[in-house]
Amino acid sequence: MATAFNALFEILSFTSIMVLVVLGLGIIASMMGIFNFAHGEFVLLGAYFTWLGHAYGLPVWLAMAFAPVAVGVIGLALERLVIRRFYDRPVMAMLGTYALAVVIRETVRGLIGGLYLNVPAPLVGSVTVDGMEFAQWRLAIIAITLLVIFGSWALLAMTSFGLRVRASLENPALARASGISTKAIYAITFTFGAALAGLAGALVVPIFSLFADLGLRFLIQGFLGVMLGGAGSFVGPILGAGVVGSASAALPWVISPVVADVAVFVAAIGLMKLLPNGMLAGRRV
Amino acid sequence: MRDETIEASTIGQVGRRQLLRSTAWMSAAVATGAGSWVIPGRTAYAAEPIRVGIATDLTGAIGFAGNSDLNVAKMCADIINKSGGLLGRPVQLYVEDTASNEAVAVGNVRKLIQRDHVDVVLGGITSSMRNAIKGSIVSRGRTLYIYPQLYEGQECEEYIYCTGPTPAQQCDDLIPWLIAHGGKRFAFPSANYIWPHLLNAYARKSVEKHGGEVIFEEYYPLDQIDYGATVNRIMSDKVDVVFNTVIPPGVGPFFKQLYEAGFLKRGGRLCCVYYDENDLNINASHEIEGLASCLDYFRAVDALDPASARIQQMYDGMFAGNKYLMAAGSAATGMYRGMMLWAAAVKEAGRLDRDAVAHALDHAKIAEGPGGPAEMVPGKRHCRMRMYIATAKNGQFQIEAKSSGLVDPQEC
Repeated sequence: MATAFNALFEILSFTSIMVLVVLGLGIIASMMGIFNFAHGEFVLLGAYFTWLGHAYGLPVWLAMAFAPVAVGVIGLALERLVIRRFYDRPVMAMLGTYALAVVIRETVRGLIGGLYLNVPAPLVGSVTVDGMEFAQWRLAIIAITLLVIFGSWALLAMTSFGLRVRASLENPALARASGISTKAIYAITFTFGAALAGLAGALVVPIFSLFADLGLRFLIQGFLGVMLGGAGSFVGPILGAGVVGSASAALPWVISPVVADVAVFVAAIGLMKLLPNGMLAGRRV
Repeated sequence: MRDETIEASTIGQVGRRQLLRSTAWMSAAVATGAGSWVIPGRTAYAAEPIRVGIATDLTGAIGFAGNSDLNVAKMCADIINKSGGLLGRPVQLYVEDTASNEAVAVGNVRKLIQRDHVDVVLGGITSSMRNAIKGSIVSRGRTLYIYPQLYEGQECEEYIYCTGPTPAQQCDDLIPWLIAHGGKRFAFPSANYIWPHLLNAYARKSVEKHGGEVIFEEYYPLDQIDYGATVNRIMSDKVDVVFNTVIPPGVGPFFKQLYEAGFLKRGGRLCCVYYDENDLNINASHEIEGLASCLDYFRAVDALDPASARIQQMYDGMFAGNKYLMAAGSAATGMYRGMMLWAAAVKEAGRLDRDAVAHALDHAKIAEGPGGPAEMVPGKRHCRMRMYIATAKNGQFQIEAKSSGLVDPQEC
């Protein structure tokens, strides 16, 4: 029984991390049609700024709050300088963002000397329930993930800004004709997606430590989540990430981890064959 | 379409002359090859320098280790040149970046052999790198190759000399110490590649010989970063000693999860034989308190061995403000032994002919090095060296035990 609870907690905690990382990726893919290969590096930048802030003496939680802002600003600059040129060329966009990813990753590698650096969590220690230990920071991540999902959903589904974002996605020409500045909407959406990545990086860095390939680790599974859930809606990628995250955390409990790693991909590809339009085919938001 | 016309017209504005000027450096870089350079000896000699090839990972995932190795090679070249060089000639380093990427490395290493005609090549950190470049150096290149990193053993090819610790050197003293200072129930969580497989095979025999038992031995994908299932098994199976060969990036989160589950609080002992001063930063110090490692050198050895302290001081002086440490897990100490054993062999041979130097290197000795003296085991092309067991205390390694003499590599 204790083992089952432990397993459940570990799976839930890793799934939240996966969802948190995929959120920004999914929003940019769904709302803008851009597959952002630099998303992992935005996560890395969030982690890097958290470490940097902490190294300069800020309290960790303050550094964590500052990181998404900094990454958002960088995202905005990149959107204005680079990304906007790719809106009508999705394949070029993949290559372009991949190139950005390499530049960012190798720059950070240079800045941290290729080392692994530890960042303390704002909440240290565990909560003991009935003899079982639950790490406080992992509990906090689960809670923050739920809050962020709800906040993002409310923003996109319940505000007039969200309506304009969706209008720009569905029919850019008509949106422009109705007086919506799609240029501004795209810039804001990309900034928002980048800031979410930065937040994800800031929150997970105490668990995984800071290293240059941090973002790369999540990118492939993240894309798998987006494909599985289906780009084009807000909830789809989150569901997809939830499935991929929980499967990759749960399988090692029952089968050999090396096999589990492959099995997740095989299962996801199988699911995509059955549900080619994503798990939420046809439904929006 | 619109964007393409803009691009075309921008090129027009740049102008041919400016284009030529701005790309001139590029053709120069292509001609010499980016990432390769020559470090001349500091003293002036009339004679033609002896060429030492250094092929190591200066960029990419393990760039931090490769840069330490290069620093140590520079320091050794400096020591050799200041004491009059070899055979009356200075030593000059020819450096190529293996870039943590075997495909890139092979081409770059060929440059050392075919273009620079080096007399010896030192370098390579991972086993996959050694396997990728050794053919170009030893068979086709007819050059000596010295491999400096701790590794799984079994590299017995002629003209390849290994100066890092082997499984026997890392386990023979350590396993009995772990049983005495941890307990009898071992777990072997491991990254799924050759080094953990072969090291575990050796360690398992040693554990069983000394009355311990291996509760489980399990392999994970190299990039796995969530170890909930493993940690749970370690806790519920009442494991005393975690003999870890999971590597970064997984090792940090793994140790953290173990700590959070209360493994250390319960009196469990962590062990990781590649852990050196660089790796202590991966986790907060309280998460790995008491972690045991067994290597040929730790910074704390300086208090026991004056020669080690002198070498460390020289390194810190030459590379002040540099973030690359002379750490044993980075192959830096193996690099020192490799350079100095080779220099001793060249002196004895009196010439640079491959077979003559190989013959002398077969029994070469150095009286001083980081960690102590070292000597090649005749006919085995591996190195006897002193080994130390250290534990992490408050973010620093503290020496727990020192081998009684030079430990035999038991290879080949």
